[in-house]
Amino acid sequence: MSSTRQESLRKAPDRSEALRAYVKQFYIYVVLLLIVSVFSVVKLGQVPMFGRGHFLSPDSIINLLRAAVPIMTLSGAFTLLMISGYIDLSVGSAMSLSAVVFAWMVLNGFSFLPALAVTLLMGIVMGFLNGHLVMKLRITPVIATLVTLNLFKGIALLIVPDGLSAIKGSATSPMPAWINDYARQGVFLGLPWAFYVAIAVILILIVVQRKTILGKYAVAIGGNRTAAELSGIDAMKYVWLLYVIVGLCAALAGVARASYMSLGDPLSGDGMETDCIIAVLLGGTAFSGGEGSVAKSIVGALIIMCVTTGLMTVIPAFWQTVAKGSVLVIAVVLNHLLVRGRVKA
Amino acid sequence: MGLTENVLEIRDLVKDFPSVRAVNNVSFNIRRNTVHCLVGENGAGKSTLIKILTGALQRTSGRILLNGEEYWARNPREAKEKGISTLFQELNVVDQLTVEENLTLGMEDTTFGFLRRTDKISRIVSVMNSLEPSIHPRQLVSTLSVAKKQIVEIAKAVASESDIIIMDEPTAALSEGEIARLFKIIKGLRERNVTVIYISHRLDEIFEIGDYVTVMRDGRHIDTKPLSEVKDRAELIKMMIGKTVFEQYTPKEGPCGEVVLRVRNLSTHKLRDISFDVHQGEIVGFYGLVGAGKTELARAIYGADPYEGEIWFRGRKLPPSTDRVIAAGLALVPEERRSQGLFSILTVRANVPVMNMKKVSRKGFISAAREREATRAFIDRLRIATSSTEKEAAKLSGGNQQKVVLSKCLFADADLLMLDEPTRGIDVGAKSEIYSIIREISAEGKSILIFSSELPEVINICDTIHLLYDGHLRETIRNGCEIDSERIIHIVTGGA
Amino acid sequence: METNPVQKGLAGMRMSNESFITLFMIGVLIALFGAACVVVPNFYLPQNMINLLTNNWYIIIVGIGVTFLLITGNFDMSVGGVIALTGVLSVYFCQGANVSRNELANGLGLPYGVAIALALLGAMSVGAINAFFIARLKVPSIIVTLGTMMLARGTAQVITRGAQRNTSLPDVFGVVGNMTIQGTSIKVSVLIMVALVAAAFVLEKLTVFGRRTYLIGANPEAARLSGIKVARHLTWLYILSALLAGITGILLASEFKAGVSSRATGYEFDALVISLLGGVSISGGFGSVLGMFVGAVILSVMTSSATGLLLSPDWQFTLKGVVTFLAILAQRYALDRRKG
Repeated sequence: MSSTRQESLRKAPDRSEALRAYVKQFYIYVVLLLIVSVFSVVKLGQVPMFGRGHFLSPDSIINLLRAAVPIMTLSGAFTLLMISGYIDLSVGSAMSLSAVVFAWMVLNGFSFLPALAVTLLMGIVMGFLNGHLVMKLRITPVIATLVTLNLFKGIALLIVPDGLSAIKGSATSPMPAWINDYARQGVFLGLPWAFYVAIAVILILIVVQRKTILGKYAVAIGGNRTAAELSGIDAMKYVWLLYVIVGLCAALAGVARASYMSLGDPLSGDGMETDCIIAVLLGGTAFSGGEGSVAKSIVGALIIMCVTTGLMTVIPAFWQTVAKGSVLVIAVVLNHLLVRGRVKA
Repeated sequence: MGLTENVLEIRDLVKDFPSVRAVNNVSFNIRRNTVHCLVGENGAGKSTLIKILTGALQRTSGRILLNGEEYWARNPREAKEKGISTLFQELNVVDQLTVEENLTLGMEDTTFGFLRRTDKISRIVSVMNSLEPSIHPRQLVSTLSVAKKQIVEIAKAVASESDIIIMDEPTAALSEGEIARLFKIIKGLRERNVTVIYISHRLDEIFEIGDYVTVMRDGRHIDTKPLSEVKDRAELIKMMIGKTVFEQYTPKEGPCGEVVLRVRNLSTHKLRDISFDVHQGEIVGFYGLVGAGKTELARAIYGADPYEGEIWFRGRKLPPSTDRVIAAGLALVPEERRSQGLFSILTVRANVPVMNMKKVSRKGFISAAREREATRAFIDRLRIATSSTEKEAAKLSGGNQQKVVLSKCLFADADLLMLDEPTRGIDVGAKSEIYSIIREISAEGKSILIFSSELPEVINICDTIHLLYDGHLRETIRNGCEIDSERIIHIVTGGA
Repeated sequence: METNPVQKGLAGMRMSNESFITLFMIGVLIALFGAACVVVPNFYLPQNMINLLTNNWYIIIVGIGVTFLLITGNFDMSVGGVIALTGVLSVYFCQGANVSRNELANGLGLPYGVAIALALLGAMSVGAINAFFIARLKVPSIIVTLGTMMLARGTAQVITRGAQRNTSLPDVFGVVGNMTIQGTSIKVSVLIMVALVAAAFVLEKLTVFGRRTYLIGANPEAARLSGIKVARHLTWLYILSALLAGITGILLASEFKAGVSSRATGYEFDALVISLLGGVSISGGFGSVLGMFVGAVILSVMTSSATGLLLSPDWQFTLKGVVTFLAILAQRYALDRRKG
């Protein structure tokens, strides 16, 4: 081998790397644009552009964004956790349990803020529990969070009285109408409070990622755990905190879901963890940690919402699962091609 | 309190392992703001000494004084906090963060968790800039070359006000130009109140960069002198080897057969253009110190890593794929037995027949009886200290674990056996057992390649010895005639 | 170092950690069974005890594949979807062609044997997809198999338009799932389960294939350097797991004479639970299908106790979560104590 070839092998990464980095930055916006265009065009023969029934009509956009609130609330925190190299599969059940608890409190006479406070507190507890299992007891994250997934789901199911499918109003004891205000009632541009809260959460998490020590240490712990610990970083403390934040966001998402549907459904969060995984994969998060972006994961979340709601208008409901599975597989392939994470032993 | 003249004082340091005393009453001083080089052959005790300093190992007895005060580090993090930083071979930088972020990692100023841009950052960055202005603080570390990543680590150590920076074979992955730049930086560190402990076997570098040199041999301290008082390489080499008596090499009975392995122009990103032949029944040794490329060579031949060049075995080209190389008749005892050679949580009986299950099974069904028989045969032949074949491999001592891995490869009935550091960490008794087994196998007509950094070992059993330095095959020696061990050390430490 | 009287009692020969854990969990099982007999009314009945061993048969069959993969350190969360898909496919292929105006009553009209074979082929192709992403592209198994689970179940949903297919089936279709052993009420499916577990145990302990599984789990790098074709072996394991799920799907579809797209929801987690209960370690190289079987019986005892105590079926989720957690900790504690 010539010495110049050996030189170049030792040097900094070359042009294909630069190209890959460039594509990585922007492809997700391109994908979003593509999806939106496809759905905008699809019914163009039948409905006028931006008119009623069209994908980009104001009604349709508002509906989509309202339905997107839970995943928008969750994906950011989920991303930060994955950047540090850890995962939480219990987010769906945590969300369901939060919805159930919130609905229960509202149904039993509590007003919004107390119900919200209690639910959020519970979210912190759930996150703390996950952190304890994973960091303190050192159980593999996948198994630990599968355990809590079942635990939370079980508790949610137990709260709902036998014979009912969810905590909901009845003739004798109706659910207060104001429960809808948070996630359905438009307050500005037709969008509800819950949406703006989700935006606030996203902005906060973006700031956390870029400008706080938690964001920096998440990258360090996920990118090179040894180097992080040698520099004196206590990985246990920070990852634990990330789990708590995920729990908190799951609780917030649950409140939004309960408010939107006027009931607390213990199964309403099923599949949310898969949606989160797809969102962060599309957003360029590496499986092994060290890389990821809250902002891009949110775009990924929007892509999922567009695909699911867009498809609902075009194909029957029973195609949804296959569609989502395909999106996941495509996201995995894209992620594999573009994100060069470390290979886990 | 004024600063002491010696930044580090080592007094009667001892480190014992179960079968060997690795550091034997070592005492010497390191003067402040100097570049202090540590040399010694493999097994001389210098890595153990360094591990004690960095907190990776705990001393058995003795004292260490840092800046005149008692020093004890229970782990590498404590060592760093107390003022001793280390540049390891595996770089400890986070690729996904910027240079600036890496420099300040663990030392950030924050308000309620928010990172603050303070003078500290610009101070640290200016340290970096004075060392290497071409590194931009905002660039991602992943875009830097290995040499520049090293400089970032050095800057970080300097900025965290370490008294001592230990550098362990830092030039292994660097080009000539990068080495020159590194040396300039190291020399400049003296003015920054940093003492450098520099470990290397590249004697030319020692002369170029060092102020003082300490030579160790067999766990003992031989001498510490200013380099100005060392005449030449030969003097250092004499100190490194001393009066080591090499066991008598027994020349081969009868001639070696024809060529079985032919390696031509083998190159990887570490190795450069290696070519050699191996004859049937020959024991060929590859001797070199850390970073010479021994393991890279073994793995390349084994198909475990990609390479350029060609390898022929028994007239057929060897493909770069491990399972096909094994099928062709080669076997490798890897360097790291625990992570690469042994199946720790399985029993000895499960470990031994792995590479040749056909011999203990019929139509896919394992015969436990044949397995036990085969395992017991090896337990006897290699004198593996275990009460039964069902013992968990993890419970054996290091030496016995190595024997199990060796049994595994012997069981493969390979025509060519490769052994990477075959007796590392093994007591003297077990060593000679392994050597006689190696001789037995070669007498049976098998060819053997030994990759080792222990000179007595290669001189003891090898018919032919190739000397490696920095990825090159520098010289070949036929054993049997007068061995000039000083010349050998001269070659493997970079001499011409 | 304390020595365990059980160890001493085995004629001085030291028991392997694996046997120790299996015995430990059998001990746990006996303790739980005893407690259940005391606390739950009518628990101590022969019919009930037989049920404990047999009513989980479908989880146990897929548990075999999941256990093998867990030993190598990989997950397979797609088994539930594969069960549903294979069941639906077997119905769809068998349904008479052009017999009705209802879409869901028309199938491909293939002969029974061909239909079953094709359905199983469908199952195995899911396994192959899993293997491609996990063994070749090295994508984490948990993510891939969640995706293939959705693809499989989703395909089943498409074929059944979100519901099920259960008409225009030939009589032979319902035979194998409902057949019982002469003179008893034990289904043939249970027999198949026993046979498969026995075969799996033999595979695990007595064959080269089984040994390779343990080797890969214990030290993948050493396995590679010892000449084991790791990627190929994992491929076989994923195809095997899918095949087992496929067989289960066919048996269930036959039993209910219907291909239901929502069948087997949650089975993948149950299979994981019984493996973990049985002592299979996620760190690889440790565990046995026998342990998995013991875990399945433990789960049976818990769920039927819950039913017997008139607890609602909603309790099972909490129960499974808590029990798995306790099992992991207990096994870790027992092994640590054993090391002395």
